[in-house]
Amino acid sequence: MEDTLSDAQSLAIEAPETRLRPMLEIAGVTKRFGEHTVLRKVSLSVQPGEVVVVIGPSGSGKTTLLRCINLLEEYERGIVTVDGEPIGYRLDAGGQRIRMLERDIVAARAKIGIVFQSYNLFPHMSVLHNITAAPIRVKGIARAQAEARARELLAMIGLSDKEAEYPVRLSGGQQQRVAIARALAMDPKIMLFDEVTSALDPELVGEVLAAMQQLARAGMTMVVVTHEMSFARDIADRIVFMDGGVIAEEGKPEQILFSPRTERVRAFLKRYNERYRI
Amino acid sequence: MPFDLNFIARLIPALLEGAKITVELAVLTMAICLVWGLLVALAQGTRGPLGWISGGYIQIVRNTPLLIQLYLVYFGLSMAGIPLSGFASGLVALCAQNGGYVAEIYRGGLQSVSTRQFEAGRALGMGRWTLYTTVILPQVVARIIPPLTNQSISIIKDTSQVAAIAVMEVMKISEIWVETSANTYDVFLGAALIYLALTSVTSCFGRMTERWLAFAQ
Amino acid sequence: MSSFNPLYHSFWYLLRGAGMTLLMAGVAVVPATVFGLVLALAQVFGRRLMRAAVVGYLFLVRGIPLLVLLTFAYYLLPLTGIDLPPFWAVVLVIALYYAAFMSEVFRAGILSLPAAQWDAARSLGMTRSLMLQVVVLPQALRLAAPPFVSLCISLVKATSLVSIVGLWELTMASREVVERTLAPFQIFIGAAAIYFCICYALALYGRHLERRAILGH
Repeated sequence: MEDTLSDAQSLAIEAPETRLRPMLEIAGVTKRFGEHTVLRKVSLSVQPGEVVVVIGPSGSGKTTLLRCINLLEEYERGIVTVDGEPIGYRLDAGGQRIRMLERDIVAARAKIGIVFQSYNLFPHMSVLHNITAAPIRVKGIARAQAEARARELLAMIGLSDKEAEYPVRLSGGQQQRVAIARALAMDPKIMLFDEVTSALDPELVGEVLAAMQQLARAGMTMVVVTHEMSFARDIADRIVFMDGGVIAEEGKPEQILFSPRTERVRAFLKRYNERYRI
Repeated sequence: MPFDLNFIARLIPALLEGAKITVELAVLTMAICLVWGLLVALAQGTRGPLGWISGGYIQIVRNTPLLIQLYLVYFGLSMAGIPLSGFASGLVALCAQNGGYVAEIYRGGLQSVSTRQFEAGRALGMGRWTLYTTVILPQVVARIIPPLTNQSISIIKDTSQVAAIAVMEVMKISEIWVETSANTYDVFLGAALIYLALTSVTSCFGRMTERWLAFAQ
Repeated sequence: MSSFNPLYHSFWYLLRGAGMTLLMAGVAVVPATVFGLVLALAQVFGRRLMRAAVVGYLFLVRGIPLLVLLTFAYYLLPLTGIDLPPFWAVVLVIALYYAAFMSEVFRAGILSLPAAQWDAARSLGMTRSLMLQVVVLPQALRLAAPPFVSLCISLVKATSLVSIVGLWELTMASREVVERTLAPFQIFIGAAAIYFCICYALALYGRHLERRAILGH
């Protein structure tokens, strides 16, 4: 019973005329792993075309939050809405939180693109096939059309000459760029990035960040979990700091990174500066 | 399939007699193979003719059926003037085959200990003997327990094949009882239960050994 | 030792026996693989009841010797009214037996896939069926190929057991020749050599697959 009230309260059911409808609405998400609560009533709103960067110490729940968005993880409370449509769980007529049908969840996932930290690409398929497999098999797009779009995307990220290669022959940075193209091939409304450069050698990080910048400038709605503070400053419209399963502070990059309000953020950045000297 | 309790009462002791032979054969085979397999594994590690011969030996026993090896030892050797009893032939053939498999287990166990362990030990200034006894061998022993347990289970099941050369273990006794009575179902149940009991006990024993080793480290 | 003439004279007969061995093995492998895959998927994706049933089946089949299963299927099947020709009865039993081992090999392959592969497939909107077809099984089966080939070798060797229940294949053929020629040593060595050629060829293929798997990733 308590679910109904808090979820209905935290959902912006009647959006004011002046505001655009958010592309992503996370409302009161709570997730427990046994005894441990990983996310505590987290709420976040992302406008279309906005780039939100999530930072915070390990164990703060940033990755879990991302994985809850497209229901790679189950969560006990809360509703996630993408472009106005709930995904995973919705409120029924009586205001109760119920799980959606599996096939609706699967269909909704296609609207969300996600890039992971490692082992992203399918190693048994060529680069081109990696990008076209889902559009052909999931969306039923004709092969010729899917391949044409794949080549467009490869050109955009500068890897046209690699289309027949297998992932094992590409560098980590190239693989991640292909992973971005693969996610884009499904025409998602929003792109999620889960520490996509953390597993890369430092010299390969730049090419991936450049591709993400390109995407941001083209107007894609993005949620990025990262450790790269200078990148966060460059790309973010808004920075969100998570700690202990809650959003401790959020605001414009300059404000969060250079004059944070809360002590937790200050402590985190101080430790970060000492390690990386930005 | 009625339960003829009278029949079962006579069947069980007979099967248990067979089980004694089965266990004897299996335990002896495992004990001998632990040593013989080690010798073969060591021989395989050397370069030169000994290495090739032992490598060839392993390939031959792994790629020919146990039954043929049994027949070769039992019938072949007796023709050549060395008559062995069914039990002895069974033991020789079982040890020949499983010795090859155990040698491979030893080799796999040693290879799976990463070279970094060797390097770390050397870097700490350990001599060869200390390195092997305190760092390498404990890890190898821990790693080979699961495959050795599986091999033991395999040996127990393989003993059933010595029925073909008239050794009175569980399978042979079951065969005799089936041929002389109509109660096939009960005999099958009895034989199956005995093997299941033996293999389960072996599995349990293997798991306990693993846990004890992990604890002792 | 005496000459190998008996072997040369009967070699063609033995080869025909080998043909039957290959036929039996080839026919049994197909249902074994299919059922093994079904069991593996049931264990990975099934609900608790199905998983328990599969685990129970695996326990029974892996704890009882194949010879026991073959012998009792041979005696019991006619009693249950199922009128199966002996060839198909033994092929069925062998297939059901090896399916259990193959399921473990397939399951290991499926579970060894990095979680990110599952995540990536799910995130692209694939249903479970698509996920299996496009991402999981192509990789898992490639990983499982080398141990699968080992099981096939074991299956070929296991066909020798059907000679004990009276079916004709290479081992039975060699026994017949031995009875006729009283030259067990030569004949069984010949049979062993034929088995060796078949199994070693498979073993080489398995090693080739292993090398490819390592290079590919």
